[in-house]
Amino acid sequence: MPALETEVLVVGGGSTGAGVARDAAMRGFSTTLVERSDLATGTTGRFHGLLHSGGRYAVKDPVAARECVVENPIVRRIAADCVEDTGGLFVSTPWDDPGFGDDFLRGCRDTGIPVEEVPVAEVLRKERRLEPRITRAFAVPDANLDPWKLVSACTRSAKAYGARILPYHRVVGLEVRDGKVVGARVQNEVDTEELEIRAEIVINAAGAWAGQIAGLAGCVVSVLPGKGIMIAMNHRLVNTVVNRCKPPSDGDIIVPIRTVSVIGTTDVRVADPDELEVTPGEIDEMLDEGDKLVPGFREARALRVWAGARPLYTPDDVADTRDVSRTHTVLDHATRDGVEGFLTITGGKTTTFRLMAEHAVDAACEKLGETRECRTADEPLPGSEDERFYWLGARVHAQEPVPNSEEIICECELITRSHLTEAISHGRPTGLDDIRRRVRLGMGPCQGGFCIYRATGILHEFEELDHQAANSALLDFLQERWKGVQPILYGDQLRQARLDDWIFQGLLAVEHLPE
Amino acid sequence: MTAARPRSAGVGFDTVVIGTGLAGLTAALRLAESGQRVAVLAKGVGATHLAPATIDVLGYADGPVEKPAQALPAFAAANPQHPYRQLSVELLRASLDWFKTRLADLGYRGSLDENVVVPTAVGAAKPTALLPESMAAGDLRRGGRFVFVGLRGLKDFFPAYLADNLVRAERPSGAPLTTRVAEIAPPLGQARDVSSVGFARLFEQSEFRDSVVGELGSNLVPGEIVGLPAVLGLANARAVWSELESRLGHQVFEVPTLPPSVPGIRVYEEMTAALRSLGTRFVLGSTVSGAESTNGRLEGVIVHTAGRPQTYRARSFVLATGGFASAGLELDSNGKVREPVFDLPVSGLPGPGEPLFEPGYFDEHALSRAGIAVDESRRPVDVEGAPVYENLYAAGATLAGAVPWREGSGNGLSLASGFAAASAILELT
Repeated sequence: MPALETEVLVVGGGSTGAGVARDAAMRGFSTTLVERSDLATGTTGRFHGLLHSGGRYAVKDPVAARECVVENPIVRRIAADCVEDTGGLFVSTPWDDPGFGDDFLRGCRDTGIPVEEVPVAEVLRKERRLEPRITRAFAVPDANLDPWKLVSACTRSAKAYGARILPYHRVVGLEVRDGKVVGARVQNEVDTEELEIRAEIVINAAGAWAGQIAGLAGCVVSVLPGKGIMIAMNHRLVNTVVNRCKPPSDGDIIVPIRTVSVIGTTDVRVADPDELEVTPGEIDEMLDEGDKLVPGFREARALRVWAGARPLYTPDDVADTRDVSRTHTVLDHATRDGVEGFLTITGGKTTTFRLMAEHAVDAACEKLGETRECRTADEPLPGSEDERFYWLGARVHAQEPVPNSEEIICECELITRSHLTEAISHGRPTGLDDIRRRVRLGMGPCQGGFCIYRATGILHEFEELDHQAANSALLDFLQERWKGVQPILYGDQLRQARLDDWIFQGLLAVEHLPE
Repeated sequence: MTAARPRSAGVGFDTVVIGTGLAGLTAALRLAESGQRVAVLAKGVGATHLAPATIDVLGYADGPVEKPAQALPAFAAANPQHPYRQLSVELLRASLDWFKTRLADLGYRGSLDENVVVPTAVGAAKPTALLPESMAAGDLRRGGRFVFVGLRGLKDFFPAYLADNLVRAERPSGAPLTTRVAEIAPPLGQARDVSSVGFARLFEQSEFRDSVVGELGSNLVPGEIVGLPAVLGLANARAVWSELESRLGHQVFEVPTLPPSVPGIRVYEEMTAALRSLGTRFVLGSTVSGAESTNGRLEGVIVHTAGRPQTYRARSFVLATGGFASAGLELDSNGKVREPVFDLPVSGLPGPGEPLFEPGYFDEHALSRAGIAVDESRRPVDVEGAPVYENLYAAGATLAGAVPWREGSGNGLSLASGFAAASAILELT
């Protein structure tokens, strides 16, 4: 079995793992990250995209709120290109306890969240689709955060500091020798080759899957996957993050991100983070709740629904996952389970990914007997050096000076041929879904109706794929898109889906592609 | 402000057709050529601009269909709710013949007896009954040495991918077939991203054709059959195609590619020109929002145009608004399916609580066959099978019982049912 050596082995390629890899590499450790799938495909790639001000936790979870207060400005600074500074609002609708507004203000002030009550008329002038009967509104520094760009930037930075980033490498075993984890056996999910990675220390950053990884070293970590569903609506129904001013519940946030608005979410304890079913009842609930913030939400065009699994670490058994704090925990398995060389970082949220990484690498330094300072809060990520926020018109702005200078492969998301070929050459994609995460291919209103054929043609040519690989790319992506569209197919999106049926089945006859 | 009373749109028509897809245009043209005063009302252009313009009657039943006329009776028997159950082979044949003759300038070839098999843009081999002559040389049944030509700047055609699949595609005959690829880069001026319609306009310019012929001619091996994306001209397509064939000295054919469909636009333009020359009133941008009826008989339909609503009165009405793709049928977020113009009963729906869609993209989805059921006279019926209005007829993708994009029956169904609706109306007069 081929082997490689590293000081720090990070398991998990979500925002936490990517943050840990970057932090460790910046502190000069030789670092390797393994992820069973593509980067940011677990919880990170399936959240609503909210960079928390802390407002959501102001009343109920002050520890988590304070972490957000510290980290929100840091993320805005180091990852500006991944952040759109939409601002956030907490609004009291006719369905909310009007008294909660005062609790909210108090909570914000106690935890240090910058908050300002805004006249309702002013809010309604700015957000014209908002429920007109809101009685109070509070402005907080919520924003949106692009998870794929964030993880991509973190791993690029980590690589620049010498880290090895290995997506599609699944940990199949942890080597425990004399009570110490000395490395991992990983399987390349593309060619099924096994690889041995010897490490000084293993940091388990597998999030909702952390319990499974810990189990490979015989440690019991109780992570409750809390399922949350989200629906992306076509268009920006609001341009500010809008939260209901009430104790956190289902369907009470709308996050405008890129060209869509995402409503979330639910919180249901599930047994397996890989089995996240979206039920018709949950969808109905989201639409009904959305109607309370934006009247007519139900009639708006829904693009897609998905579910993510929050990694909620719980020392004891807790009935409602919403009662588990959203803060994070670093577990040293030496003191806890008598297993050396092994840390688990779990809980937390993408907003505090950097802090989680700092705490995890601090703990690793201590175990390795090193004192090395964390610098991740100071150095901007690649692409964010000028500390300028992403904005909605960025792609148009880039193309406007040179109109018609190259083909636009995806009109919905304004992806050019060179965006696509760069994304392909940036690390061999296993399929179109990997490219989607890199450039947002197929994420717009037509959900791939036009770009899937084009992207397949370009991938076939550029990567010199054989017909089978190209056909799998096309067919797999069609199925992948269908998965998120099918539970929420009605209105104009059904119309679009039927046009796509005519294109793929009627015009191209992809069902009859050769084997 | 009080709502304006609908204004009458001139004197009455013999027939008002709602929808400008192939079904609506066929019904309208047949009625107009029989001397009827016809009005065509539509929100916009129809599915002609999306579909490849081949007339597929039945491409796939259990596997690819080689002889549709022969396969149809068994297919209809096995699918009792299918519109083909009510559209006889004779009627299908008559509608195809009518189309070929009436639109002779489009030069359609083929018949109901034997499907032609042509490549799709991904390189699958697809059966079809009729096809424009500009696609005929792509017939794969005879095999041959094919060269597929890419045009730089056209993002909707990938000849290498096509060619790679096509040599392996399932075909009815084992005649030897080879594929190869060429790319040409005729001058596009400053543009780097040109749509299929943009290329079609360029192909109408003789200098552009000169450069295509110049670049391609030296690159061809004698006997090769040349496949190009279906962008060879619009109004002068026939001349463009035959000029390319004669100047290159090779057979040339078009491969349909992503919408907008240039061959489909040609059909639309040809049919609407014929209608206009027969004096048909053509009102695009008009959404029919209501109807007036007395005693089970439609008197008029109400259209909202600029200014105030207008009523179009007629003796007969044809509903050809299409399926879900054209909003001829609608599903709301509560799972309710509606036919939005007349609120007709929708047939073929799954029972309450049953899923409309399955998790696999290629699964059979319950909603696919939903639509309007009609009687033998092509009139929409209620649950008891009685006509909803005695003078309302339905045609095209709005009909219940078919999965046309999958069966390869789209334009065939539209043509035959539009033809049949016109026949039913003409029988009355």
